Amino acid sequence: MSGRSVPVWITSLAFIAANLGAVELIGMAASGAKYGIMTAHFYWLGAIPAMLFMGIFMMPFYYGSKARSVPEYLKLRFDEKTRAFNAFSFAVMTIFSSGASMYALGKLLQLVLGWDFTTSVLASAAIVLAYTFLGGLTSAIYNEVLQFFLIVLGFAPLAILSVQKAGGWAGIMARLPANYTHAWRYMGSASENPMGVELFGMVAGLGFVLSFGYWCTNFLVVQRAMAAESMSAARRTPLVGTLPKMFLPFIVILPGIAALMLSKMPEMHYSLPLSANGGPDYTQALTTLMAKFYPAGILGLGMTGLMASFMSGMAGNVTAFNTVFTYDIYQSYIRPGADDRHYLTVGRVITVVGVVLSVFATYVATRYNNIMDLLQLVFGCVNAPLFATFLLGMFWKRSTANGAFAGLTIGTGAAVLTLCTTVAENNGGWLAHWHQFPSQMAQNFWIAIIAFSTCFVISVLVSLMTTPRTDKEMEGLVYGLTKVPHDATAKWYERPAPLTALVIVLLLILNVWFR
Amino acid sequence: MDLRVPSGWFFTLVGLILIGWGLFAPAELQRADLTTTNVNLYSGITMLVFGVFLLLLAWRAAARSNA
Repeated sequence: MSGRSVPVWITSLAFIAANLGAVELIGMAASGAKYGIMTAHFYWLGAIPAMLFMGIFMMPFYYGSKARSVPEYLKLRFDEKTRAFNAFSFAVMTIFSSGASMYALGKLLQLVLGWDFTTSVLASAAIVLAYTFLGGLTSAIYNEVLQFFLIVLGFAPLAILSVQKAGGWAGIMARLPANYTHAWRYMGSASENPMGVELFGMVAGLGFVLSFGYWCTNFLVVQRAMAAESMSAARRTPLVGTLPKMFLPFIVILPGIAALMLSKMPEMHYSLPLSANGGPDYTQALTTLMAKFYPAGILGLGMTGLMASFMSGMAGNVTAFNTVFTYDIYQSYIRPGADDRHYLTVGRVITVVGVVLSVFATYVATRYNNIMDLLQLVFGCVNAPLFATFLLGMFWKRSTANGAFAGLTIGTGAAVLTLCTTVAENNGGWLAHWHQFPSQMAQNFWIAIIAFSTCFVISVLVSLMTTPRTDKEMEGLVYGLTKVPHDATAKWYERPAPLTALVIVLLLILNVWFR
Repeated sequence: MDLRVPSGWFFTLVGLILIGWGLFAPAELQRADLTTTNVNLYSGITMLVFGVFLLLLAWRAAARSNA
């Protein structure tokens, strides 16, 4: 990280680029093919409002507090055990995230080189290990912005060509079932739309819990804004980032919908490959589409862009796993006070362990026909309860360490219990079969809602029964005890309020258009 | 470092390569199953334009900070 001197346009692009790697690209196209244009809510409903909230309300705490990671903030605001629990669940999350990337990269190698899946996965694991040891994370921000441009310029032609071939948007709307091309109209009841969620599940699950949980507590993302040149620039980072963000569905989701349309047109000779359990493997929508539309030349460029993005994404997760495990768990609890060389060696061993665990996670990923379903499940179990803890910690000074710890552990437990007692497609329900969800994504949304609510309620109840810390101890950590800057003298486009108003108007137009 | 300079050169160069490939490479090397559009040529032009645009922005910023 290059200190606090990076211009806003770069931090803003890095902010959204941190969330636009190859696995998101492939996952969003997969979701487009599986769930239709409702997938755009991952951007419109599931990112923009949270990014605005992040910039306006939460950034002052992050930029102002001395915390350099989420576990560290929890330690300052609450206590050690809350931090330890979060460090552990964060470590699990990074393993599944890098496992999901490794799975998708393995599938790509399998498609391009014709290797079998195990060889492909082991090859991608070796690549990640080499990349991480060679220090592939230096100047991560610059890398990410370049990759962002490459993804937009390299995949926009695919969106244009595939939608055109599928008969244009009007043609797709005329021939696909209407619930694949309307983002809002069929959300009255879960049975009417391909995602199987009703308005409440969508707005509360995705629009509130998952999205705010992801954008406000995910430090891989928040870090990008911390590199900005000033507090005002850090606050503007997510706000400016929303402008390109809201148009990304046209590049990342439309190809998936076009792939679905093309697979229903026999004259195109295009079909989605089959997944392990017999249905279409949506995860491969984007790559198979590339193979059909891109000639040698741009095909190589696109593949290179994808692989570079996979590597940096996985390296980012493995490095985060290493950092959290070495500093927040090993150095804090297992062996404090050793010399730096010892921790460096431990870090290297942990990196190898992280890659090996990721390989196991790829075999969990094979159970999912859409890689995005798995990622959102992990976010639902880890980020959703954490967001309740953060919300209370930042905005309610009465919340206590014991309250936070009880809420976080029981909330995460509730998420896992929901997964083990409900069934969606062929996953979940290992303990009991209390409920059947129409889709994996619907299950994810409800897991997130249950985890958040449980954590919130338990935290409040336990906090009320335990003694809070004094105001003095919580300065800079809680709303009301922290100075929030006012940028009244800046130019209008540098102030949060007018910028937010502009974003909201554009967002409304897009939603009305695709209603 | 101004990020616009390396990104600008990158896209200018990649754009030129794709344009050259799109114009001069034999057609049988450039076939795609589902399209007859010269994807290499048009993507190359877009990348070239974007690369030059980034370089212009960077040079203008450099000129301004020198003045």
